[in-house]
Amino acid sequence: MSKHQYAMVMDLNKCLGCQTCTIACKKLWTDRDGTGYMYWNNVETRPGMGYPRQWDRIGGGWKDGQLQPSPLPSMDDYGHAWEFDYEQRLYEGKKKPVMASPTPKSGPNWDEDVGGMNGDENYFFYLPRICNHCTYPACLEACPRKAIYKREEDGIVVLDQDRCQGYRYCIKACPYKKIYFNEVTGKSEKCIFCYPRLEKGEVNACAAQCPGRLRFVGLLDDPESPVHKLVRVHRAALPLFPEKGTQPNVFYVPPFNPPKRGNYDKSILEDSRLPLDYLIYLFGPEVRDVIERLEAELKTAQAGGRSELLQLLIGRDAETRYRIKPEVVQIKV
Amino acid sequence: MRINRGAFLFAAVLVAATIAAAQAGKETAGQTLSGTSLSVPAEALLNGAAVWDQVPAHRISLNRTPPLYDTDESASLEIPLLDVRVVRAGGKVLVQMSWADSTHDSASLPEVPNTPPETRFRKVPTEAEDRFFDAVAVMFPEKKGAITPSLQMGDAEDPVQIYYWNAARGPMLMEAAGRGTTRTTGGSFAAHGAYEKGRWTVTLALPDLPAGTPLAFAIWNGSQKDRDGRKYFSVWQVLR
Repeated sequence: MSKHQYAMVMDLNKCLGCQTCTIACKKLWTDRDGTGYMYWNNVETRPGMGYPRQWDRIGGGWKDGQLQPSPLPSMDDYGHAWEFDYEQRLYEGKKKPVMASPTPKSGPNWDEDVGGMNGDENYFFYLPRICNHCTYPACLEACPRKAIYKREEDGIVVLDQDRCQGYRYCIKACPYKKIYFNEVTGKSEKCIFCYPRLEKGEVNACAAQCPGRLRFVGLLDDPESPVHKLVRVHRAALPLFPEKGTQPNVFYVPPFNPPKRGNYDKSILEDSRLPLDYLIYLFGPEVRDVIERLEAELKTAQAGGRSELLQLLIGRDAETRYRIKPEVVQIKV
Repeated sequence: MRINRGAFLFAAVLVAATIAAAQAGKETAGQTLSGTSLSVPAEALLNGAAVWDQVPAHRISLNRTPPLYDTDESASLEIPLLDVRVVRAGGKVLVQMSWADSTHDSASLPEVPNTPPETRFRKVPTEAEDRFFDAVAVMFPEKKGAITPSLQMGDAEDPVQIYYWNAARGPMLMEAAGRGTTRTTGGSFAAHGAYEKGRWTVTLALPDLPAGTPLAFAIWNGSQKDRDGRKYFSVWQVLR
């Protein structure tokens, strides 16, 4: 068990789906050879396929203390990169429109904004995803090389590139499919929670760049940190797929879930636009209580009262949203 | 990761067999591999098919490791036999291994010189991140003598050297002192591999090992998702 645990809370009500976090991460960490298809941070539309395609149904994680089987996602599941034939169209006399090759069939963010239908009403929301830096990482347990370890000082799960032999048991074991294999180096890679930034007192790149200001970062065990307050005190944020058994340390404030059109005076859970069953699928049955708590806070604020939780969720400045303690990494272990 | 009960049983049987053989004063090894001495440069032999035809082949039975982990898919014995030819030439022991494999799991990777073996290849990705590649290895004890260390990558008292060749990444020198301790040394060695008519023929240049050195062989079949301890292996053979 780590001495401390860094955690992130993402407020899904504030996510714009702009992918600025994705690009911040990509520019910083995965612009090397062999990392083209890697998105340590991605934002997917829910309901939707996700990235890699159907990752939430593939397998992995824990059940009754045992690792669960899973196939390796194939490149079809990530989507093959394509090129456009500008050369032929612009310089070689091709008359037909510019075409992509190979024909795109899937890719990151492939089904953006498609969502689902509830009767005649469309619904969707964005789900930003990074490695969950789990308390019980299935990837760590699965690695016969002991290449994956959880930093004792801050709970960040990292993958030692010197020890990794590219066996990919970790990718199978991760129920969130957040580890990627680099064909060029022959080793697997994953989100490092920007630990080199945290060690300098800077927040994660994905959080720093987020125009929606939806990310909160701090130590889960630090009573002053926003993540502690949101997760432990207000109990307003939940992990994704808690039943996978890895105990994620990334938490989500669920979407407020507005009522259907024309039902504006109704309660959020009464005739909701976004089926509650789908939120229960993602965040477990506790999501109902969380939404009710959020609605009560909203009513307080609407009636002119003051909601500490909503003030925190607004997160006006960096001091509110982040509490980075570079000194924790100086603990000698 | 929880180790499969079958793997424990397998290890126990190996240990029991080793102890029984030691008590009986016998070698645990299979057959002896007689090397043919040739006065030909080692380099020429690495790709010299005609000369190899003159060298007698030793046919060695291969076994499959049982599923190591509960989450492993089962795999059948697709490659039961390995032909091994040994030549002593130019201060090297050249070992040629040949086996039938209906699937050619390889990738053509342009090489980047002056980089460590494990990162030597810069390539256009095959866009098959779920692929594994065919490979072969010869293992022998680091210490001179006829001791046969544990077949599971040696043990703390008797470390092993592993000459590993991968169809996508080429030769890599490895060492180990027991299961789970295998590591690349960063070193390399001369090797040549070719796949033709459903058959791999791979030649590795080993150092000049004395007669009596035990050798063990392993094959990884990429199409069966072989990597790590998921592989084909032989029991110890003795070099003559």
